Amino acid sequence: MEIKDGKKRHFGKITFIVLISILSVLIIYYSIMSMLAPVRKMEEIKKEFDVKVNDKNGIDRQVVNDSSYLKLLKEKAFLQSRILLAESDSIYLTLNLEDSTANIEISGVVVHKSKMRSFKSSKMLLTGNDNAILSMLSTPFTILYANATIKKEPVMIKMAPKDTSEYKPDIMPDTSITEPVNYILEMNRGIRIYVYQEENIKFSERINQIKFDLKDRLRDTWNALKRIAVFKVPEYHPFIKIKLPRSDAKIIYRAIPKNGQIAVFS
Amino acid sequence: MLWISKLSEMEDEEIIKDNTESEGGQQSTEANQGKNEIPVQPENGIEKKDISKKPLFVIVRSFFIFICTVLVILAMALFILYVVPVLEEIFPRHKTESANIKELNKDPVYKKQMGLLTKDIQRLSLRFNAYTSGQSYIVINTIENKFALYTNKKLIREGFCSSGSYTMLQTSGNKKWIFKTPKGKYWVHGKITNPVWKRPDWSFVEEGSPIPSENADSRFEYGVLGDYALILGDGYMIHGTIYKRFLGMPVTHGCVRLNDDDLKVIYNTLNIGSKVYIY
Repeated sequence: MEIKDGKKRHFGKITFIVLISILSVLIIYYSIMSMLAPVRKMEEIKKEFDVKVNDKNGIDRQVVNDSSYLKLLKEKAFLQSRILLAESDSIYLTLNLEDSTANIEISGVVVHKSKMRSFKSSKMLLTGNDNAILSMLSTPFTILYANATIKKEPVMIKMAPKDTSEYKPDIMPDTSITEPVNYILEMNRGIRIYVYQEENIKFSERINQIKFDLKDRLRDTWNALKRIAVFKVPEYHPFIKIKLPRSDAKIIYRAIPKNGQIAVFS
Repeated sequence: MLWISKLSEMEDEEIIKDNTESEGGQQSTEANQGKNEIPVQPENGIEKKDISKKPLFVIVRSFFIFICTVLVILAMALFILYVVPVLEEIFPRHKTESANIKELNKDPVYKKQMGLLTKDIQRLSLRFNAYTSGQSYIVINTIENKFALYTNKKLIREGFCSSGSYTMLQTSGNKKWIFKTPKGKYWVHGKITNPVWKRPDWSFVEEGSPIPSENADSRFEYGVLGDYALILGDGYMIHGTIYKRFLGMPVTHGCVRLNDDDLKVIYNTLNIGSKVYIY
C-alpha cells in the first residue's frame, strides 16, 4: 500500500513536470508566433503601400530613402490627409505625434486643441520614415469600432406625463459626476488608437484603467490563441497610445462620429 | 524553478521515507512474528513517518503545492499578457532612411524631386489654410457647453452656453423626441430681433398638456428667447434665455442658449452666411 503511494507521488511529480514543460513549450511557441506578427504586418503594408521604384519614373531607391526627402514626404502625407478630411464636411481628429497635439477639426477649421501628456506608439509607426508607412498615413483612417468606458451619447429616457398633474419640471443636471474616460478606437488597416485619461486622482480610477487595459489584452490574447491553435500567425495591430486630460479625452470621443476619421502625423 | 527542485527533493525524501517505512514495517512485522517481544525501530524513520502522516503537514504541503501551481499559472498569464506584447515590439526595424549622402545632394534627379515636393507642400498648405475663413465664425462646444467667437482667425469672445440635454422624451404611444444639438458645420440662415417662440408639439407633451392646433394662441410665447435669435435651420437657433442659471449645462431641447451680453455681441458680429461649427 505504501509502495503504491510512493509510486503515485512519483507519477504525480512526473505529470507535473511534463505539464510544466508542455506549457513552457506552448508559451515559447506563442511568443515566437507573436513576434512574427509585426514582421508579417510590415510585409503586408509594404506590399500595399510601398513606393514602386523603377527606371521610368526616375526616382531611385536612394532618393526615396533620404531623410530630408522623407521628412517632406511626411509633411505632404499629413496635409493630403487633412485636405481629404476637410472636404468631407465631417468632424474628424488629427493626431500629430511630432508636436504632441490631438485636435478636432471641422472642414479644415481647428475647433478644439488638446495637448497630449504622453504618448507611446508602435515602433513600426515611429520608425515610420519608411515610405510604405508614409503612403499609408497619407490617407485618413476610419474608425471601425470603438470600445469605451463612457457612452458616445449619454441619452436619458424620460416618459411623458399623462396629464399636467404628473408634470415635474427639469431639475439642474448633476455636473459633479466624473466617470473615468478611457477608450480604444479600432481603425481600418489594423491600426488602434488608445486614449487614456491622464488624471487618476482616485484609486478606483486607476483600478478602472487597469481593468480596461486588461480586458483588451485578454481579448487580444484570446484572438491570438485562436489563430495560433491553427498554426497561423496572429494579427498585429500597430498602435498609438495617448494620455490626454480627462475633459479633452471626453470631448474627442463624443465629438467624432461613430465611423469618424483620423489623420495621423508620426 | 528553485521551488520545483525543492519540491522534488521533498517528494524524493518522502519516497525514500516510504520505502524505509515499508522495509521497516516489514522488518518489524517479521520481528514481531519471530520474537514477539521487541519491535525493531528503524533509525529516524518512525519520527518522520509520524510527521508526514500528520494532517497539518499534509495540509501545509497541499497548500504549498496549490500556491506554487497558482503562481506558475499567474506568471505564465502575466508573461503572455504583458511581456509578449513588449517582445512584439522588438521586431526587426524596417528603416530605409539614409542621410547626408553628398553624391545624392548633387544629383539633379534628387534636386528635382526635392523641389517638386517642396512646391507640393506649399500648394497644399495654401489650400488647407484657405479652409479657415477670415470672416467671423462661432464654435460651439456641446460637451463643455462653451462657445468661442472668431473674427479674422482671432478669438474675440468666449463664454458659457447651454446645449441639448440628450433627453429622450417618450410617450405611452411610443412617440419619441430626442433633445440634442446637432454637430457639424452650419451657417446662419437668418437673424431676428425679439423672437417669438412657437411651441412645438413636444413642448406640450413634456408638460402633459393636450396638443393645440397648429396656430393656436397657446403655441406662442413672447420674451422667452431673449432679444435676438440666429436661425441655423431645421428648427435650431442660437438665442437668449430666461434660465441663465443653467448656462454651462446641457439643458436645452437642441437650440443653443446664451446670456444677453454674449448674444448681443454674437448677433452683431455674425452675418447671414457666417459659419457655425458645433462639436
